[in-house]
Amino acid sequence: MRFLLNGHETEAAPRGAETLLDLLRESLGLKGTKEGCGKGECGACTVLVDGRPANACLLPAAEVEGASVTTIEGLSPGPGQLHPVQEAFVDAGGIQCGFCSPGMILSAVALLEGNPAPTDPEIRRALVGNLCRCTGYVQIVDAVRLAAQRGGR
Amino acid sequence: MALRDLTYHRPRSLDEAHRLMAAQPRARWIAGGTDLMIRLKDTLPRGCGLDVSASPPSALISLRGVRELRGVELSSAGTRIGAVTPTSDLLDHPELRARYPALTQALCVLGGPQVRSAATIGGNLCNASPCADTAPPLLVHEARVELSGPEGSREALLEDFFTAPGQTRLAPGELLARVHLPPPPTGARALFLKKTRVAMDLALASVAALVVMEAETCVRVRVAAGAVAPTPLRLRQTEAALEGGALTDARIARGAAIAAEEIRPISDIRASADYRRAVVEVFVKRALTTLRSAPAGRAT
Repeated sequence: MRFLLNGHETEAAPRGAETLLDLLRESLGLKGTKEGCGKGECGACTVLVDGRPANACLLPAAEVEGASVTTIEGLSPGPGQLHPVQEAFVDAGGIQCGFCSPGMILSAVALLEGNPAPTDPEIRRALVGNLCRCTGYVQIVDAVRLAAQRGGR
Repeated sequence: MALRDLTYHRPRSLDEAHRLMAAQPRARWIAGGTDLMIRLKDTLPRGCGLDVSASPPSALISLRGVRELRGVELSSAGTRIGAVTPTSDLLDHPELRARYPALTQALCVLGGPQVRSAATIGGNLCNASPCADTAPPLLVHEARVELSGPEGSREALLEDFFTAPGQTRLAPGELLARVHLPPPPTGARALFLKKTRVAMDLALASVAALVVMEAETCVRVRVAAGAVAPTPLRLRQTEAALEGGALTDARIARGAAIAAEEIRPISDIRASADYRRAVVEVFVKRALTTLRSAPAGRAT
């Protein structure tokens, strides 16, 4: 199967009903997408499929044939550079242990793509599928608001 | 046996899907997979499906790529929703929102964005959970379901589709192809209320209501509830008590008390049966109090 992975044409051969998460981590070596609960509750495995947040732990990899998939590795604008949303997470202290950060950041990127100036309730609703067990939600919401204020997407 | 050992088919047409199923009757349909994949992970290799005594499927046949099963068609005759249309597409559909605001309200609280981008309306119904969020609004809109089998298709009322938790009238080899909604009655107002413990949780109780007012008289009422019986439920005794009169506080209170009696809740991990009765009584009261004065066609 062929699909667009972080902007690059990619060839992969998913085995049976294996998940996109396993394909990314085990076959393609992209370890930035995390496995938390494995049941679609925590959002640590969030990736963007055609711009929409999806739980890679529940998505059969075969379903992304022909789609565009963005993982946390695909956000950087260049070597050694962070995406504006990543910058905002750093500046606002929206990261503690970091395990939820890739998913949080991808959900935030998807939100800002469709709604560049979200209200706080809109930010919270967009992140409802992402759990942070360090419970640093205040700083995470601050980070998304900061990214929006800076016009960073 | 793991997920990777399960053959995964991606038919492009309904014919191809039925041919694949006919060739391997122990295969299972899969749509968005947000329920089924969890269940497969939980139960492989012990068996899977809501019937935990069943053996694992021999293969999965994905319906996501079947074009005939996707998309929304609106006409003056009603609305046809392809069963594998992702719920995020339905939530973003402005005309659906205008016609069926209670359905949009339910879609808003169906999982989070990651779940909605995959979960389909057909999957939500075929999973046949008593707490399926889309069921109560579809029930008050008197939805019909189109079932497709190898020999052709048939229609049923959604109300008759659910038979027990996790069980539907789908025959072996059949699939849910489309949901048909009649146009909303002229002047209809509808809304959906859902009670959860935390955000992105399953409903511990939910209520959808639709009313049509003519001056002070309520000429039509439809009420449905979720998570309070073995299947999503139309509350016909409640409707009968309310239809044909003014929606006064006293009549609403009586209707709400009947609703609390009419449901058949159980106590489980999410709530006690008593609490569910209390929530439904409050929700019916709140829904009708809101709808008697809401502008036509709009929910709160």
